[in-house]
Amino acid sequence: MSAPTMLTKFESKSSRAKGIAFHPKRPWILVALHSSTIQLWDYRMGTLIDRFEEHDGPVRGVDFHKSQPMFVSGGDDYKIKVWNYNTKRCIFTLTGHLDYVRTVFFHHELPWILSSSDDQTIRIWNWQNRTLICTMTGHNHYVMCAQFHPKDDLVVSASLDQSVRVWDISGLRKKHSAPTSMSFEDQMARANSSQADVFGNTDAIVKFVLEGHDRAVNWVAFHPTLPLIVSAGDDRLVKLWRMSETKAWEVDTCRGHFQNVDACLFHPHQDLIISVGEDKTIRVWDLNKRTSVQSFKENDRFWVIAAHPEINLFAAGHDNGVMVFKLERERPASAISQNGKLYYITKEKHVRSYDFTANSESPSMVSLKKLGSPWVPPRTISHNPSENAILVTSPADGGSYELVHLPKDASGAVEPTDTKRGPGTSAVFVQRNRFAVFNSGHLQIDIRDLQNSVTKTISCPSGTTDISFAGHGTLLLITASSVILYDIQQKKRLAELAVNGVKYVVWTSDFSHAALLSKHNVTIVTRHLQQISTLHETIRIKSATWDDTGVLLYSTLNHIKYTLMNGDNGIICTQEQTSYLVKVKGWNVYCLDRHAKPKVLRIDPTEYRFKLALVKRNYEEMLNIIKTSKLVGQSIISYVQKKGYPEIALQFVQDPQTRFELALECGNLEVAVEMAKTLDRQQLWERLGAEALAQGNHQIVEMAYQKQRSFDKLSFLYLATGDRDKLNRMTKIAEHRGDMQSLFQNTIYLGDVEKRIEMLKEADQYALAYLAAKSNGLDEEAASILEAAGIEEDQVKLPTLGEPIVAPKAVVPVFRINWPTKGTGTSAFEKVLMGEAGDEDFAPAETYGEDNVDEPERVGGLDDEDDEGDVEGWDMGEDVDAEAESDFVNVEASEAGAGSSEADLWARNSPIAADHVAAGSLETAMQLLNRQVGAVNFKPIQWRFEEIYTASRTFLPATPGLPPLVNYVRRTVDETNTRKVLPLIPRDLESIIATEVTAGKTQMRTNKLDEGLKSYRRVLQLLMVNAVATANELDDAKKLIHSAGQYTLAISIELERRKLVSNQADISSLSEDTRKRALELSAYFTMPEMEAPHVTLALYAAMNFAYKSKQLSSALSFANSLIERGTNAKFKENAKKIKTTCERNPSDALEVEFDQFAEFEVCAASYTPIYSGSPSATCPFDGTKYQAKYKGTVCKICEVAEIGAPASGIRLLG
Amino acid sequence: MSDPYSADGELALIHNAFHQGQYQNVVDWDSSSFSSEYTLPAHLLQLRARLALHQYDEVASEAKGKSQPDYAAAAIAAEYFKKPSESSPALAKAEKLAESQGENMNVEILCGTVLASAGKVDEALALLAKHQGSLDVVAVIVQIELSRNRLDLAKKAATAARKWAQDNLLVNIAESWIGMREGGEKYQAAYYVFEELAQAEATQSVQSLTSQAISELHLGRLQESEAAFEQAQGLDADNADVLANLIVLNTIAGKDVAEQKKALQKSNPNHQLLLDLAEKKSEFDKAAERWTPKVKA
Repeated sequence: MSAPTMLTKFESKSSRAKGIAFHPKRPWILVALHSSTIQLWDYRMGTLIDRFEEHDGPVRGVDFHKSQPMFVSGGDDYKIKVWNYNTKRCIFTLTGHLDYVRTVFFHHELPWILSSSDDQTIRIWNWQNRTLICTMTGHNHYVMCAQFHPKDDLVVSASLDQSVRVWDISGLRKKHSAPTSMSFEDQMARANSSQADVFGNTDAIVKFVLEGHDRAVNWVAFHPTLPLIVSAGDDRLVKLWRMSETKAWEVDTCRGHFQNVDACLFHPHQDLIISVGEDKTIRVWDLNKRTSVQSFKENDRFWVIAAHPEINLFAAGHDNGVMVFKLERERPASAISQNGKLYYITKEKHVRSYDFTANSESPSMVSLKKLGSPWVPPRTISHNPSENAILVTSPADGGSYELVHLPKDASGAVEPTDTKRGPGTSAVFVQRNRFAVFNSGHLQIDIRDLQNSVTKTISCPSGTTDISFAGHGTLLLITASSVILYDIQQKKRLAELAVNGVKYVVWTSDFSHAALLSKHNVTIVTRHLQQISTLHETIRIKSATWDDTGVLLYSTLNHIKYTLMNGDNGIICTQEQTSYLVKVKGWNVYCLDRHAKPKVLRIDPTEYRFKLALVKRNYEEMLNIIKTSKLVGQSIISYVQKKGYPEIALQFVQDPQTRFELALECGNLEVAVEMAKTLDRQQLWERLGAEALAQGNHQIVEMAYQKQRSFDKLSFLYLATGDRDKLNRMTKIAEHRGDMQSLFQNTIYLGDVEKRIEMLKEADQYALAYLAAKSNGLDEEAASILEAAGIEEDQVKLPTLGEPIVAPKAVVPVFRINWPTKGTGTSAFEKVLMGEAGDEDFAPAETYGEDNVDEPERVGGLDDEDDEGDVEGWDMGEDVDAEAESDFVNVEASEAGAGSSEADLWARNSPIAADHVAAGSLETAMQLLNRQVGAVNFKPIQWRFEEIYTASRTFLPATPGLPPLVNYVRRTVDETNTRKVLPLIPRDLESIIATEVTAGKTQMRTNKLDEGLKSYRRVLQLLMVNAVATANELDDAKKLIHSAGQYTLAISIELERRKLVSNQADISSLSEDTRKRALELSAYFTMPEMEAPHVTLALYAAMNFAYKSKQLSSALSFANSLIERGTNAKFKENAKKIKTTCERNPSDALEVEFDQFAEFEVCAASYTPIYSGSPSATCPFDGTKYQAKYKGTVCKICEVAEIGAPASGIRLLG
Repeated sequence: MSDPYSADGELALIHNAFHQGQYQNVVDWDSSSFSSEYTLPAHLLQLRARLALHQYDEVASEAKGKSQPDYAAAAIAAEYFKKPSESSPALAKAEKLAESQGENMNVEILCGTVLASAGKVDEALALLAKHQGSLDVVAVIVQIELSRNRLDLAKKAATAARKWAQDNLLVNIAESWIGMREGGEKYQAAYYVFEELAQAEATQSVQSLTSQAISELHLGRLQESEAAFEQAQGLDADNADVLANLIVLNTIAGKDVAEQKKALQKSNPNHQLLLDLAEKKSEFDKAAERWTPKVKA
């Protein structure tokens, strides 16, 4: 018989462990080490919580107090120490023993500590007053162990003198529990008692001396409830003793250890004895029969064993540390059958079923008492609905399986008849009339029929540890480091995935996905073992089950959690006891608890349903959830916002401040205004104004400025919108406020000279007033000013006067309506919210559009395909056999003629330009590119075409003389359906990022701009003709196209500037126009969207360039931006210096066309600003902006697309 | 008559060596060991190996003055492949020989190959169809059917052959060729066959290594594929097929292939890859002309 492996839960490595104690409540064990340290471990998390190091020499005994935060230890330094584990300090030390202390134990209720020692005494101490209250003598050799009885006033001890003694300590209890009530007479009576020991001590007296071991006795223990004692000794025996009130006797001996037995105990709940010894075994004995039940052989000598008082856990200390283990699996064997019921095995080994629709448990159907060993519960169960049979496996005796037919009507736990059985590690039904039995010893799977005869044998890859049914004629083979999908019929591997330590496999009901559970990881894979996501838990994962919608619920030791396929996970609830999930239905989670009792837990699936709806963009479902669920927490809101759906988050939020933030984020001014009104704070109006301005909603801008009392800005706004009435009003307001500056400004805006003169006069600025009057031809007024000032006209010396400035007149009364803005659009979600969502009003509509675009060339293709589908018949599998039979010599040439190549299929199968290139269909590829991104100039991407085409086919040398066989390289390696095969497209997104993008960034940083330009342009061209695998990648690719476009633009601008100034830093010698242009270009270089370090570079260059060219104001603004946004400390330092210098005289020597506050983009052809709202054209591929006049020319950035051409958008995903 | 090519037949070893692509071994084979009835077929295998090694003149001189149609076929093949062209006089000779000696296996193989490479596929297939249970002929049929994209007929031929030739090496190889077209799990199956040949010292050849590398490339295992190609180059650094496929591999891996293209140009300027690329280049230029920007810059 091969030794069963232990169900080890925790192991620690250390020096020899001599004493162990479980904490009664927390998942802790204390370990006393031979090295003088005491360790405190959390065995659930596997972490060392603390170390206690005050003993001098080995520590042999430890014990936790049941309720106080303390423990006791005893060691070879003769000392007993009492510790507080909260304060992590030794509270006090009890001294008195004259030799090694072997064991220490707390009393279960009295404040007592019991110790045994090599000084041949057993002592009882009171830890409250820290005194020795009793010394028990009698053993005449080392006392190895002494324990209190769990209820009675008894102590049992074991000694090297080969005896076990039972002591009565009732006297001690009397004396100490009621010392005052004891009269002098009583004490006298006690003192004179004839039972007093040799020291006249009557507190503890020997009750029984048990002799039977003929070598030293190492350990002894009381049974928790029965009058039984178990002892272990160097005679390699474990002895069971029984006692009555008056006598005690040996019952039986357990033989089996072949070395000293060092410790033993009774199982807290079951009729078992467990012993450990120096023969490196842990042995389990049947208490009633005294026969060996199990024996675990390990690698180290065992010294001690302890049992958890409540849970099914034991700890054994050995030469190299401690192991915590279970004696039996708690996981109840269960399976959901295809008939929808749960079949499971109870702790009594009865088979029952559970009906989820009726929520009812069946009576026991059969009893499996005879299966395996009585102490080992069955491991797995598999149900076959058509035969109403179960297949059960048990790990006992090297593993066995049993096929049992269930009775038609459950009538109780009857013994099954007519069972089939055999050896095997695991067994599952794979078909109606077949089951697979895996034998780990032979690494072999037998497929058996219901008569239990083998129909097929499969040998497994080495390392296979378990098998699991994987749907429809397939099995999942589990090895320590991988899982393999195996086809039983074809006897071959279909797929393999490297994943460590898988213990359980949970399939969705349609076997489309599986969750692979290992100790700490959940890996979600598809039917073909493609990994979708994986997640890690720090504590043990126990079980999992799939929701119908594709959400996995799983349980850990103390939580029920969920994860979406994409790995997004969260907690559903915490629970005290571990449960094993079997099914989720609506709000109910069905599970089995540790005692294999079915339970139904109510959960709230709102959170994961909501996330799922979000992932699937099922807005109606989301809305429904929002409407019906009461609680939508802050976490959901921030989740939605973080995922980039502020407009959805907006729907949940009540808090005005948050609503305001979200509204701004998604550009919903209406809500923002509403919230700003509610909150009415300066800062919010300011931000609202900025956002409204950006959107061109000047009515809200006006309101925001009014609220801010920002008169200057208001006036300017009215000027800009041409609202003279309001400007007049502003003048009045200025007058009213007595703000001369503002009045002056408004009169200028209005062109109201009279008012201005009046105001200047009022401000006693007669000179200016006169000047104004004179220059505007108001001579009369001028004269009157002179008169008022008492000056003659010839005393005034006037500068030459130019034409008076005329205030601009509004051509269009734009102030009446808002500027036309691009509709921010109602999100699909909001549409649903407004109830206007039609059935197909969503995103798919867009895709339809694109399909239409592709229609023309696909129509032809489709027809062809249909024809061939009938005539040529690619799926000829069966025909071949039938005809081949007839005559091998004559391969009929009936269906003569060449076929169409796989490349033709590619072109038919895909709307992606790259696939057409690979197919060699260059013309259709160009057509597609032209439609999708307006490509017209293909020369620059010829290299890309060639690359893709080259990568699409290989040349297999075959018969000499004939040209090599051309084979077509697929990206769909596993696909054989000819309508789905697609070519491999070289240079995927990942490789572009790793190569060109990285190179581009480096070149940017190291100032190799010529090369940088090439790199980024290459990125654009690589992406233009490419294919991606997922929607996420598509998003990334689109982002990359945009960013590469911006970099290309930025570098082009800078190169243009360098060309202009012939790479000189000092440009003072150049013409003013050139200088002005150079300064502008240097400023524009900072505009494109680049990563922060690169913007920093651009800003730094622009700042220095401006500074050297005496553009101090510009330099200052760049310096400010640099300080604010820069990522380089040294640059910032310089910027601060320049800022200080510039602030003294912030003016520009030249006026350049660059307003850092204005919203504009830079035209990629002329490198001039395109202010928002002014006409422009865009490259349909990379989105670069151009002045309108460039429409129809080739984009300077990608060099392929036509600016402003109509385009449906790039298509990279099939 | 026992099958001379069967596993224990006299010709089994040299036949396998030929189909494993160990042509030089075949040429160097000690032919004195063959019993008299097998001298001719063995010699023909050697001549076919020479053809594979482009030793056309040697073939012509060895075939000269021999009366058997087998030698005539070898001479025709040597003449044609020395200077392949549709106007080659060898073509007419091949057609004539095919008509008169269509039952001869070597005539079927050699003339069939000549006709097929000259583009006369139907004629070639008609000739090959006359074979009397020759695996070599079946292999040629499979290849021709595959090259004209008739996977169905190729499979039919191979399945039929498998019925009577069972696990013969050549059947496995032909099935692997088919598998490389089918893809999916068949890639892996083909890989196993090629890899078994390529990685055993005794059966290793440029051809088997190249085949293994190609199957790995199709399976998406680029690094392994590259290693196998390198192994092949270790045997023959200038092999055109190896170079051509390396160009494909390196293109997929995003490496520069200019040098390898030059090397291929030198090794075999008429390699299919180069011809294809040249054709696509002109196609590109022609197609690209159709589009011009609305406004010339």
